[in-house]
Amino acid sequence: MTDHPLPPEAVHGTVPPDQFDPAFVADATVEARDVSVWFGPKVALSELSCSFGAGVSGLLGPNGAGKTTLMRAITGLTRVNEGSVLVEGRNPRTDRQVHHRMALVPEDEAVPPGLTARQFVRYIADLRQVADRSAPDAALGEVGLLDAADRRVDTFSKGMRQRTKIAAALVCDPRVLVLDEPLNGADPVQRAHLIALFRRLGAAGRTVIVSSHVLNEVERMAERVIVLVHGRLAAAGSHRAIRDAMDDTPRHVLVRCDDGRRLGSALVGLAAVTGLTFDPKRDGLVVQTLQARELAAALPRLARDASIRLHEVRPLDDSLESLFRELVR
Amino acid sequence: MTDAAPVAAAGRQRLTPRLVAIMLYARRSCFPPKRWLALLMPCVGALLFGLLARAIDLPRDRAFANVAAEGIFSLAMPITALIIGDSVLGAEVRAGTFHFTWLTPAPRWQIVVGRWITGSAVAMVTIAPASALAAVVAGSTRSAGAAYVASAVGSVAYIALFIAIGCITRRTAVWALTLVFLVERLLGEALTGIAQLSPTWESRAIFVGLIDNPPARLIRDGIPAGADAVVRLAVVAAAALALAVFRMKRMRLSGASD
Repeated sequence: MTDHPLPPEAVHGTVPPDQFDPAFVADATVEARDVSVWFGPKVALSELSCSFGAGVSGLLGPNGAGKTTLMRAITGLTRVNEGSVLVEGRNPRTDRQVHHRMALVPEDEAVPPGLTARQFVRYIADLRQVADRSAPDAALGEVGLLDAADRRVDTFSKGMRQRTKIAAALVCDPRVLVLDEPLNGADPVQRAHLIALFRRLGAAGRTVIVSSHVLNEVERMAERVIVLVHGRLAAAGSHRAIRDAMDDTPRHVLVRCDDGRRLGSALVGLAAVTGLTFDPKRDGLVVQTLQARELAAALPRLARDASIRLHEVRPLDDSLESLFRELVR
Repeated sequence: MTDAAPVAAAGRQRLTPRLVAIMLYARRSCFPPKRWLALLMPCVGALLFGLLARAIDLPRDRAFANVAAEGIFSLAMPITALIIGDSVLGAEVRAGTFHFTWLTPAPRWQIVVGRWITGSAVAMVTIAPASALAAVVAGSTRSAGAAYVASAVGSVAYIALFIAIGCITRRTAVWALTLVFLVERLLGEALTGIAQLSPTWESRAIFVGLIDNPPARLIRDGIPAGADAVVRLAVVAAAALALAVFRMKRMRLSGASD
């Protein structure tokens, strides 16, 4: 937060009480305050408070964490049961003028049938009253779809559909861009291209909110990350801080080799190892560590020096879900 | 920059009105080939009712009037309107593509009216001519105009109603069929107050009002006929559209997978 000294009118003319909370930014364009959303007995968001400003912000969390619900609440698609969401000081649910400045790229694959990519993007441009008639082609070119502009969107692959939706969102040059898992279905080249595009938009002062359940993806796009778990704010801050927090959580790694006894003796001497057990079911050693990176670097060297052949090295709890669980413990 | 200026100037052209954009979109996207096939079926049904009229041992005009009242205006026309009304809104909401339109600054009334106009235009080229053609098939050419008008006006009112239902519930078909068959047909048969607001009964009344010497059993006391019935259905359509605009504020839009 020291990089962003707060002006007196930081958030909509008032100094927020939580101005040093990493969940909040100075000059917020999107602000969620004590937001709760539930669908019947299922609570999707619970008293969530955070804000987003210029630049790329990542929304990170396991499946079912509430990322999509938060994005829908930000764009007004979902009604907030409690709390408030404001976009540039306006309620996106009731004030349609917000949509002049905001665009959503939903995760759903659904696209309107029967339209070509150009027709679809032009439709959105017409509804947003974009005066520049070349804007749809420019937006399609931005996502590398100009060659396929006259093909029907419903015949596109998942990645192409996603890029078409991004083009439709970009056509009005929105100040706030909300992207729900935008890299789904994209190949590595497209991913790199889209990540560069989002970073460029963020650098140009747009508020870009990107959700993902893949930490590495978010790291490449966003400097600031909001982590959601079970509809609650689990962590917020730079991705380095999030990564460090994750690195500090105990991890379990299964190691299978041709001489477990000797490898176990060698591992005990490593500072990175905090516990060691033999798991007969898995027929291997389960190594507990607080420094997974150090262990990953040391283990092959150790095995080589002791002439032990490694058959398998597999993290037992390295899914994001387990890491997120650790974060909120 | 000097080269770019004319390009930019050429790029700036007159804006397409939102209402026109919505109508064009609805025509292109809401009626894929399969839906046109689905629309064809009740239209063919209307023609079959025309053929059926030939088998009735009555003068051609009277036979067609009876069949049209019971078959075309009570069955084929509402079903066609249901397919159209659901296509222009409800199906899109269920498919998860409606939010592309909703998440724009386009006024809600334009979204509703644009889709209603497109749906009405589709009815004008499907069930309305099919109803007129059914009169010709039945050998009652004189009734063709009345059948077209009654079917067109009834469909237009129904489409507005079904758009409103699409804004209220995702189960458009279930509630629309409930409205047509339980409320209009059953309750409307017994209660004049319901029949006065029913596109089925009012389209029958329009038809009866426009043909010469209609069968006495089709003349129902207590509900407007002819031009008055057209006005009544216009009011029903306007009220339904107003309800749709109002409800669109509160729509719960979820994705196709939700």
